[in-house]
Amino acid sequence: MIERLIRILERENVEWEIYWERGRGGSFKIENEKLERSQRKFHSGIGLRVGYKGRLGFSYITGIGHDIETLENFVKRTIKLARVSEVPFRGFPSEKKPAKIRGLYDKRIDEIPFEDAHAMAQNFAERMIELKAGRGEYTLSGSLAFGVNFYGIANSNGIFLEDKSTGMSVSTYAVKKGTRTGSGSYYQSYRSLQPFEELERAIKLAIEEADMSWDAERFRPYEGELLLEPPAFRAIVGIFLENLFGDNVHYGRSRFVDLGKRVASEKLTITDDATIDNGIGSYPFDGEGNPGRKTVLVEEGFLRGFLLDETYGWLLGMESTGNAVRDFRTVPHIGTSNVVVEPGKESLEDFEGIVIKKVFGEHTANPISGDFSLTVELGYVVRDGKVEPFKDNMLVGNVFELLDSIRAVGKELIRRGSFYSPRVLAIGKII
Amino acid sequence: MERLMRKAEELARRYGISYYEIRITKVTASHLTMQNSQLEELALNTEIGIGVRAFNGAWGFSSANDMSRAERAIETAMKIAKLSKGDSRIYLGDPVKDRAEIKVKQSFLDVDIEDKLSLVKEVDSLLKGDSISNRSVSYGDGLKEQLYFNSLGSEIETVVPRIRLSFSVTAKGNGEMQQYWRSFGGAAGWELVEGVDLTHWTAFVRRKAISLLSAKSPPSGEFDVIMDPELTGVFIHEALGHAAEADAIKTGESILTGRLGERIAVEELTVVDDPTLPGKFGSYIYDDEGIRAKRVEIIKNGVLLNYLNDRETAAVLGLEPNGHGRAQGYSYQPLVRMSNTYVEPRDWSFEEMLSEVKRGLYMIGDKGGEVDTANGTFTFGAKEGYIIENGEIKEQVRDVALSGKILDVLKNIRAIGSDLVVEFPGYCGKGQWVPVDDGGPHVLTRAVVGGLR
Repeated sequence: MIERLIRILERENVEWEIYWERGRGGSFKIENEKLERSQRKFHSGIGLRVGYKGRLGFSYITGIGHDIETLENFVKRTIKLARVSEVPFRGFPSEKKPAKIRGLYDKRIDEIPFEDAHAMAQNFAERMIELKAGRGEYTLSGSLAFGVNFYGIANSNGIFLEDKSTGMSVSTYAVKKGTRTGSGSYYQSYRSLQPFEELERAIKLAIEEADMSWDAERFRPYEGELLLEPPAFRAIVGIFLENLFGDNVHYGRSRFVDLGKRVASEKLTITDDATIDNGIGSYPFDGEGNPGRKTVLVEEGFLRGFLLDETYGWLLGMESTGNAVRDFRTVPHIGTSNVVVEPGKESLEDFEGIVIKKVFGEHTANPISGDFSLTVELGYVVRDGKVEPFKDNMLVGNVFELLDSIRAVGKELIRRGSFYSPRVLAIGKII
Repeated sequence: MERLMRKAEELARRYGISYYEIRITKVTASHLTMQNSQLEELALNTEIGIGVRAFNGAWGFSSANDMSRAERAIETAMKIAKLSKGDSRIYLGDPVKDRAEIKVKQSFLDVDIEDKLSLVKEVDSLLKGDSISNRSVSYGDGLKEQLYFNSLGSEIETVVPRIRLSFSVTAKGNGEMQQYWRSFGGAAGWELVEGVDLTHWTAFVRRKAISLLSAKSPPSGEFDVIMDPELTGVFIHEALGHAAEADAIKTGESILTGRLGERIAVEELTVVDDPTLPGKFGSYIYDDEGIRAKRVEIIKNGVLLNYLNDRETAAVLGLEPNGHGRAQGYSYQPLVRMSNTYVEPRDWSFEEMLSEVKRGLYMIGDKGGEVDTANGTFTFGAKEGYIIENGEIKEQVRDVALSGKILDVLKNIRAIGSDLVVEFPGYCGKGQWVPVDDGGPHVLTRAVVGGLR
């Protein structure tokens, strides 16, 4: 059907780009250690962009099994939109070789019978009951999900690319009750089918964190060295990255205008890397057909790159970094692939002092000024090897100052979804 | 449609399913965005899809956006439910046959795209000014036509329009950059945007963004805080609303579990969630489980009176269903969600409230929030603030966020104003996004302020 649509488009005197998807997902929700909601969803659709006399039109249709008349109308409608639209058309990318990445598709996920996935979720729930037994009063919930997506992009510049990917994710949330309350959570996503041990690990880690949270009380105000664990550092990096999106740079909504400036401690190097094998944020080509690649954003404290798609690359006089993210319902927009905080040389595993494990509320921060105030969901103090947890303080500061104050970056890289980071030692303030 | 209904009945018999429900949804939407006079998006789309839930002590769900797969989606949901065999329960009330529409004065479907573009251009032009480095305008509308039917015999057709206009500016100067924004929206027609005083509000956001360039970071620590109606809205949404959603109660993940009838706040506090408020962004007539939307008093005079519930939590917890099962769209299962949440007004004037504060903060505007319902901790941001000293408003502060413990903050409320406003449209995320509104009067309480001083 894609070929038929292309034939129709080739008859018209327009430039065009089509992006199509077909996929399905199965997911399972466990509440109170019982499998309560199971679902299987199907999706498919086509997004069409048309460039006509310097203007861009976009629309989409759901489903990919349409008759010729529907396709003709779809094309007519999109061309008509391009005529009335005042969205400038700056050209589609030309043909380039996609990146070679291993491990983005696992046949075992694509072909897993729903009954088997359901049974795995059932076992996950039963294992929750076993693992909480005899430890106190816990409520455990969680989710398990599997998905497969077939997608492709073609344009009038000769791009015709197709690929497929799979994903699996697991999450657990534990609440420990009694005279007080503690909560813990764990989330991870993968490209390939995982052994049951990963699910068990998710339960154990969430319970461990709930135990810690149960013991935690508010800590005294403090200013000085803080060790940030990857989930907490992710919040800080996320606020900073807002400034590197090409559209924010172009429209004056970024703190930065040019590359080359020192923006952080020399200990800090951050890359966006779509080419990591098995990476949950990896892709061979982006939503416009540009190859996925590794882009150095911050190198030893210096700003080296922005995140760009074709349009904002062109507007900023740069090349697309292959960061156009989309689905068939949307036009491409700039997004990250895998964000990697490069590991350092220090061993921060036996650190003694104040550690911030998790924070929340980062969307209330101001990415441009860099000021943030985040609630500490969980932290702990290590003294003489003894761990004293705390929570409910606020971590306050300025992102740029905090990144500049980084004293050490750990050796061990930890991954949560598409974010990779070691532990990071910086100067901060909690109130 | 008749064919699908017959097919569903037949499949339910085959798979031994006691309850099922089907939503077929058509959304006709337009969306325009502009930045610095450059149109970035102009989209007109119609989407149709089907979502099917079947219950067998646990839920099976399936959806498709290709209607040729409709029967397959029905069968899949039922097969999954058969496989599931849980021991939960759901409310099975009287069947409803109805056609309900939120009426508008002027349908946005009848407004030419050129007129919508003109509106966006006008706002962009009005936002221009010295020190303004970025202007951003977003307009969106969508008409949701939904046919709902279930195995009880309910057949409900609903038509709900939603419209939203929002704009923001970034100001640059003094080596600083600051943003300010405003949104307008409702379950309404084109008349909503026509009623906005664009000249006033565009000047307002420009002025605010520029003034924030010279504002200081707030002090940190625990302070008396007066919240304006917009911030009161996000405060009550985050600090109470999520914890009162009965799915978190059912799983024991809310700090409000088992506290119905208990005094959890000051006597003056009454908090309402009301999807029936005319024209508000979070309004609807029936929820996505075919239950009529109801006004719910969550807290009445300081006492926790009700949870927000869906078919399942109502049955499991033995409560009256109140129509708060909402789904982002046909491809999502309904979850317990808020609609329009607000604090009822009392009799304090703003001046009286101000005179109560020796040293504290007046905090204005919603910058979003987040809550940990199990631990009872929340955080939310304000667009701006002012230091209060001895009852007088002093210097402006920026980038302010607050944090607190739900049960402490509700008991720390010292004054509730008389000036109720519920017109702060937004989207609330809980794995899915649904339109909500919130608000209240000015409220004086005590919270932890996270500033850099």
